[in-house]
This record gives sequence, structure tokens and C-alpha cells, in this order.
Amino acid sequence: MNSLQMQCDGADMVLPPPFAELAAELSPEDYRHVLGLLRADVSRLMNDIAQAARADDATAFRRAAHGLAGAAGTVGAEDLAKASREAMAPADTSAWLVGATARLRALAADLLDDIAQAEVGTGPDGAHAPR
Amino acid sequence: MSDTAPPQAARILIVEDLASQAELARIFLAGLGYQVRIAATAGAALDEVESWQPDGLLLDIELPDFNGLELLNKLHAQGCDAVVVVVTASASMELAKQAIRAGAEDFVVKPYNKDRLSLTLRNALERRALERQTQVMESQLNDTQTRLQQAEARLGRAGFASFVGASEKMRAVYEIIQGVAPSKASVFITGESGTGKELAAEALHKSSPRAAKKFIALNCGAIPRDLLESEVFGHVKGAFTGATSDRVGAAKLADGGTLFLDEIGEMPLEMQVKLLRFVQTGTFSPVGASRTEKVDVRFVCATNRDPLLEVQAGRFREDLYYRLYVVPLELPPLRERGDDILRIARHFLGQFSKEEHKRFRGFSPEAERLLMEYAWPGNVRQLQNVVRNVIVLHDSDLVTPAMIPPPVSRAGAGPRLAAPPRVPEPVRPPAPAQSPESAESVESALEIAPSVQVVPAAPEAVIAAPSYDAPPPERLPPTPVAPWSMPAEEIEIIPLAEMERRLVMAAIARTGNDIPRAAALLEINPSTVYRKVNAWRQEGLIPQ
Repeated sequence: MNSLQMQCDGADMVLPPPFAELAAELSPEDYRHVLGLLRADVSRLMNDIAQAARADDATAFRRAAHGLAGAAGTVGAEDLAKASREAMAPADTSAWLVGATARLRALAADLLDDIAQAEVGTGPDGAHAPR
Repeated sequence: MSDTAPPQAARILIVEDLASQAELARIFLAGLGYQVRIAATAGAALDEVESWQPDGLLLDIELPDFNGLELLNKLHAQGCDAVVVVVTASASMELAKQAIRAGAEDFVVKPYNKDRLSLTLRNALERRALERQTQVMESQLNDTQTRLQQAEARLGRAGFASFVGASEKMRAVYEIIQGVAPSKASVFITGESGTGKELAAEALHKSSPRAAKKFIALNCGAIPRDLLESEVFGHVKGAFTGATSDRVGAAKLADGGTLFLDEIGEMPLEMQVKLLRFVQTGTFSPVGASRTEKVDVRFVCATNRDPLLEVQAGRFREDLYYRLYVVPLELPPLRERGDDILRIARHFLGQFSKEEHKRFRGFSPEAERLLMEYAWPGNVRQLQNVVRNVIVLHDSDLVTPAMIPPPVSRAGAGPRLAAPPRVPEPVRPPAPAQSPESAESVESALEIAPSVQVVPAAPEAVIAAPSYDAPPPERLPPTPVAPWSMPAEEIEIIPLAEMERRLVMAAIARTGNDIPRAAALLEINPSTVYRKVNAWRQEGLIPQ
């Protein structure tokens, strides 16, 4: 995910653009609260996806992928959102599900890192932490 | 309202299983002033819709228990009219179409920001509010149109209830009936004989909340005074000679409905005392019974006399007068109803032509002029008899003056007849059955009302008041009497044809020249009565 350097309260902070938009629309408490929930949702959805792939359950897989697409979109994780939407397409084989899961897992891990970064701030001064 | 302000702090239910998405939407919407709740499953959403009745739903398509589109269908099936905005991560147009087809108002794709969500939701709510407002206005418009049609029917040519007529005086009558019908207030109807007092009483009953219950009519002047109490209150077996079984009276039969006491001025004073108690308390005792019964009855009374004059003359109790004379309703005589004469004549012409299979379509201008110039002392009943007479004896397209019987046919020869005396005095004949002389003393039974109203002495349990185009009301079975049990030697033996003539004329006289009622008493067709009377007149057996 690309980062954006922006001026905020007289201090420089670097946030991925969607995170910044979200932060701009929420109070610091709400922003942190939503990020926490988002992190939990992404982790749960990835578990659901993996479990569905193992069980060869295309329906459960598609439903979890749909959720992941929405969650990723909230903070502008376009790669993950796009991959999730693609994974929602009908799958014929369990191999396809496993492959899609691996790709989603990698992208989701990136997102979780970004969220964690956004929650605690990127710099030692915490300049881009939630206001 | 600003661009993003919620319409009247609407209630929004967020149906979303992802906590982060639900919370984000909640924060957005709560910040905009909406009342917000969250349901994480479709089942929970159904419960919330039932209990909280939100104005709008923000509905995610993918839900753990079942699909959002299925939820839309279920909501629609259970009558939920909340506006629904579907939220999804998939920007599929097909999905959007499905959602709209299933009843969603709009569609929004994740990710959305606060402004986008606010605008979409607000527009959807406003569109729905406008639709509801339009529905309310259409409903009000329909209601207004219906009321207008009813008013037109009431006040226009169609008349009101069983009445025919649109004159100013009758419009006032209709308005009073409509106004007083919903209450329990007693109504006192006055008017000349034949003006439709019983029709007014029936219209009151049918327009009232008591319409589903019975309308019981009792002609106080037609019942012997020693039987009147039994007719009103009933009796128990053995209460008097001839009371071989218990009998329910008019008061009990009218429970929950309307008791119409016609010719109340004819009620004996001693009976008026008992009626007063009944009117005051709603309780009565059947004749010979020790028990009292309580009923809920609305009283409607009628007389062709001036009730206040009756009070002043001591023939009607003042306390009963004030109990019953709550809402006065005066029916105008026909001669004061202008074009109603022709409306009613045409109404009867159509009705009787159909019944008698005749061709009549209307009256010639000359015939109409005769009808309009006549004073109609017998009022609508007399007009009814004249039209029936014409139809029975003739057949043509138009009624001409030559077909109209006297004295109406002579109306154009001189000045319009003066109105009859306002208050005809009843006279009780001495014998149970009238002699031919007494019957023939009634001036031209077919065309003109008698100047003297003949009140039958023989028992006649309930005789309805004049009714010119309404079905007969509920009638009590007649009190058992046995005039036929007279010894043979006491019965005058006369030619059968003369006996028939006497009987027919007596029936006409007893019913106050109401030919249909006379025919009903005789259990023959009214046309037969007209034909017989016309033949007897031509033969000189009865006066012209």
C-alpha cells in the first residue's frame, strides 16, 4: 500500500490515503475502535476462508470473501478487495479455493500490518497515529 | 433541512454481520442524528423490524443465516414498509437489479464515505416519505370523492335512504337524520299522514350504529288499548284470557335496535305512564310477570298531530313528551316539496311499470302540470296510489291527463286546492269491522286521503306507518283473537260479492287508503284491488 505524507496539526504524518480519509471522518476514539474491529473482522474472515477451502465449501468461501472485500475496501486495500471479489466467482475445484486462499492470506497479512501500523502510529513520535 | 440532515431523526436498522462495517455505519449515521440499531443476522433483523419498526434498513447482501434478498422478500411479506438501502462489496448491476426488484429503494457499494451514505439514505427516505404523502393524499382524495358522491346521492336526485326527493325541505330532513342517527337521542317525527314518517324512522335506524339490530314498528293507534301493554312489553302465559303462551313484546324484540312508536298520540294515558317508566329506566315487566327486564332501545316516535297541543289538551303526558321530544323532525307535506312531486311520480311510474309489465316511460307535459297543480292532501301515499291506478288501468308510453283519475285530473280546472287541516282528528269506529257505509264514507279511497283518519278497532298487532317505497319493517305476529268463532246465527249472510266489496273497502279504510297495505292484509295483489274498486265505481256500487 502506498503511503501519503500529510500535514496534520502542524506535524507531519504518513498514512495510507484511505486510512487518512477514515481518520478525517471519525473521532480518534471511534477511529481506533473501528480499526480494532476491522482487524478482528479480517482475521476472522481469513480463518473462515481457510476453513471453507479445507472443507471444499464454495458457498461459505464466497460469503467470507464477500465480507473480506467489503472490509478491505473500507481502508482502501484495493488489491485485497479486488482479489476477494475475484475469489467470489464460482469455483469448481478445491485446488482453486486453496490457491485463492493463499493469495488472500498474503494480501490480508499486508492489510493487518497496515492496520496495526495505523493503530499505533508509524513513527517514534506517533505523529500519524490517530488524532 | 440541510443536505445531510436526516428526515425527522429517522430510525435506521443496520443489518450487517461484520462488526467493523456495522460500527462504522452506526458512527456515521448517529453523527448525522439518526436513531440507529444493529442486527448481525437476518433473523435478528426480522425481530428488530417487528419490535422497533425502523424507518429504514441499511442491508448487507451477505448475511450468515440467509441472503439479504431473501430477507427483503420476508420483510415485504410481513408488511414492513421501511425503506431499504442495500449495501454490498460487489458492484454487480445484476445484484442491484435483483435488490430493487425485491423492494430495495437504493443500492450502495462499499467502500462508502459518510457523505455518500448520508445522501443515499436521505434521498431514499425522502422518496418514501413523498410516496407515503402521495398515498395519504390520494386516500384523502378518494375519501372526499366518496363523501361527495354520498352527499350528492343524499341531496341530489337519488334522495336519501328510501326517500325520493331533492327539495330544500327534504334536504333539511336528510341532514337532520344524518346528524342525529349516530346518537341514541329520541327522535319525535311529525308530519301529515302519508309524508313518510315511518320511512324517516327506518332511515334513522339504518343510518345508526344500531342498523345491524332490529327495527320494530308499533302503531299505537291500531292496537286496542287493552292489548297495547302486551304488544309493547309482552306477556306471560295465563296473564289474561287468551294468553295461552308467553309472548315477547316489541320492547324486547327491539333490544339493541330501534323501537318506532307510530301514532304515539293515540296511546292511552295509563299506558303512557308505563311507557314513561320504560323510557326512563330501560326496564319493563311483561304483563303478568313478576320479573323486570332491561333492554337497550332507541325510541323514535311519530304523530300527525301537534304533540304540544296534545299535551296542552291533556291527552299526552308532559313528562313523557319531554322524554321523547328530544330531536324533533318535521316532514313537509308533498305540496310544499315542489319538483319532488314529479321526481316521486316518475320513481313510482318506473317501479310499478316494471312490476306490472307496462310500457310507461314518463308523463306528458300536461299530465305533469296536473300533478304539480294538485294539492295532494294525502301526500306521497296518495301520489303512489294515483300512479299505481294509472299503471294498472292503462298501458302506453306516456301518461296523459285522460289517464289520471279524479280529483287529481280536475286540478287544472280551478285554483290549487288548499292544504288540508293540519291535524286530523282520529275517530274510532264502534265495531270491529266497518260497515260498507263507513268504508264508502272515505272520500274516494283510491285518490284522496280521508279528512278523517279511521283507526281500526280490531286488533292488529303491528301496523306499519305509511311506507311508499320501502320494504315492510319487522312486524310482530298478531295477537290471537277469534272473531271467526262467532255463532253462525249471529253472522249476517249476504251475497259473497257484496261481502268481498265490504271487506276490500274496509281494508282500504282501515289502512288509511294505503292500497298496497290493504292488499297485503287481504293477501291479494294491489292491482286486483285497483281493478275491483275501479269496476265497482263504474258500476256505481261505490262513490266516484
